[in-house]
Amino acid sequence: MSPKIRGFRGELPITLAVVLAIGLLMLSQMGDNFSLNILAFTFLFAGLATSWNIIGGLGGQFSLGHSVFFATGAFITANLYLVWHVSPWLALLPAGLVAALLGMAISWPVFRLRGPFFSIATMAFTEVLLSLAMYFDTFTGGARGLSIPYRAGLENMIFRTRLSYAELMLGYLALCLLVMAAVTRSRLGYSLRAVRENETAAMASGIDVLRVKLSGMAVSAGLTGIGGALFLMYVRVVDPPTLFSLFDIGVKMALVALIGGIGTIYGPLLGALLIIPLESWLRAVLGNAVPGANLIVLGALLTLTALFLRRGVMGGLEAGWRRLRRAK
Amino acid sequence: MSALLQVCCAAKHFGGLRAVDDISFELGAGEIVSLIGPNGAGKTTLFNLLTGQLAPSHGQILFDGQDIGRLRPHQRARLGLGRTFQIAQTLTSMTVLENAMIGAFLHHAGLSVAAAQAMTALEAVGLAPRAAERADALTLGERRRLEVARALAMQPRVMLLDEVMAGLNQTEVEEIIDMVRRLNSQGMTFLVIEHNLKVVRAFSRRVIVLNRGRMLAQGSAEEVLASPDVITAYLGKSA
Repeated sequence: MSPKIRGFRGELPITLAVVLAIGLLMLSQMGDNFSLNILAFTFLFAGLATSWNIIGGLGGQFSLGHSVFFATGAFITANLYLVWHVSPWLALLPAGLVAALLGMAISWPVFRLRGPFFSIATMAFTEVLLSLAMYFDTFTGGARGLSIPYRAGLENMIFRTRLSYAELMLGYLALCLLVMAAVTRSRLGYSLRAVRENETAAMASGIDVLRVKLSGMAVSAGLTGIGGALFLMYVRVVDPPTLFSLFDIGVKMALVALIGGIGTIYGPLLGALLIIPLESWLRAVLGNAVPGANLIVLGALLTLTALFLRRGVMGGLEAGWRRLRRAK
Repeated sequence: MSALLQVCCAAKHFGGLRAVDDISFELGAGEIVSLIGPNGAGKTTLFNLLTGQLAPSHGQILFDGQDIGRLRPHQRARLGLGRTFQIAQTLTSMTVLENAMIGAFLHHAGLSVAAAQAMTALEAVGLAPRAAERADALTLGERRRLEVARALAMQPRVMLLDEVMAGLNQTEVEEIIDMVRRLNSQGMTFLVIEHNLKVVRAFSRRVIVLNRGRMLAQGSAEEVLASPDVITAYLGKSA
């Protein structure tokens, strides 16, 4: 009698049910533009944190440099659209591909470093690429940034209603969750976890550690690039400091995943549902009275998670569920 | 008997220390060879040279006629070298079954096939009833058996066991001996580091004795264990 190993086919109904539930949540907010805006950003960050989680959570490579891939996706889409008049829908593919390739190129030397040294190196890369982006202003717009003119239309990925954008971001979240579920329930997912746990054991079992890390990074960076492209089409005005932002993008992706439950499929989504609305609300309520108060609350929240929920909200829920079953 | 593993003048120096100093031997297909010697003799270092955790300072290591001395550990694993570690390298946040699956994935990409293969390996070491538990719930002795299961799930041609009997009780030792004999009769080759001489006598026709990085003796268990040099290495000279 062997314990059940859940494959991707077993995971798929759960993933679809989760997306459906989130979709219903969105529809319940129909007509409320303030809420739909927050939901759009929540879905976007849930997708981004899920992407980060592939290499950061499953693979244990704590990248703080994912804003680089985010910015790459955004700038590629902007240039393809503005210069070559390529529909943003088509631009998503090169945005993801180039971000994935850049992810592998950057990580290849950096993966020799472990733990905090790896994180610091990815942070350094963010700063280097930000400087480069400011310098090559024909591509990035430099300090002035780039703006996408408002020409509503499905083919331009520019919509009149907030609901359409929320739907777009929900689609992105669904894509990220599906990819995360597929990776987790595959040999690559198991190999990433083995590499995270013990590289010696992984190597001795025939796992090519560098190759597994690079594969995980490519998938993670590619999805992040697509997220960057969608962010661009939503806000329509971007500049390098925003897109490369260490705190607002790179650290936040990791933070959301960490609070939700690192390495789990649905943890980052849970983290985003908790953090992003809370942050928006805090900024709206406290932003004018006490500038920076939202950051203080976020910091406190992270501290509490680190103290009491080492494996995030998802890990805490799992532990609670196990205790409940044992009590029966 | 054709030689599956050939070691020719292999050496590993750490600065001035010659941990492994010009060792040559052959391991024939279907053999069980024991590697014995006092602490610090270089047994584990030799294992690390064979499976690629360390690069040899000089010398040649041939596996099935192919020079593998410069290959990375995962490449050697793929050729069919499976090993356990003296200090169990357990993937603690994964289940017992998942630990064994990591080995099984070497030849099986699919989850359910890998799980079945892993389950067979767990049954062989007696850990099947604990398959669903997290690996950090295992005792040290059980973790050693899990090492064996992970290596076994790789379906290797040569299995290198690094002191897997340490910390096991008499019954468990018997079980492992039975397992080794059974797998050997199915064609698996073994190189075993072992301190328990009873175990060495039980299954090895050939024993290699290392001392201070050099090969001190090699031959049948009776011959080697009766040799005055070996007794001196283990017990010291009588005054």
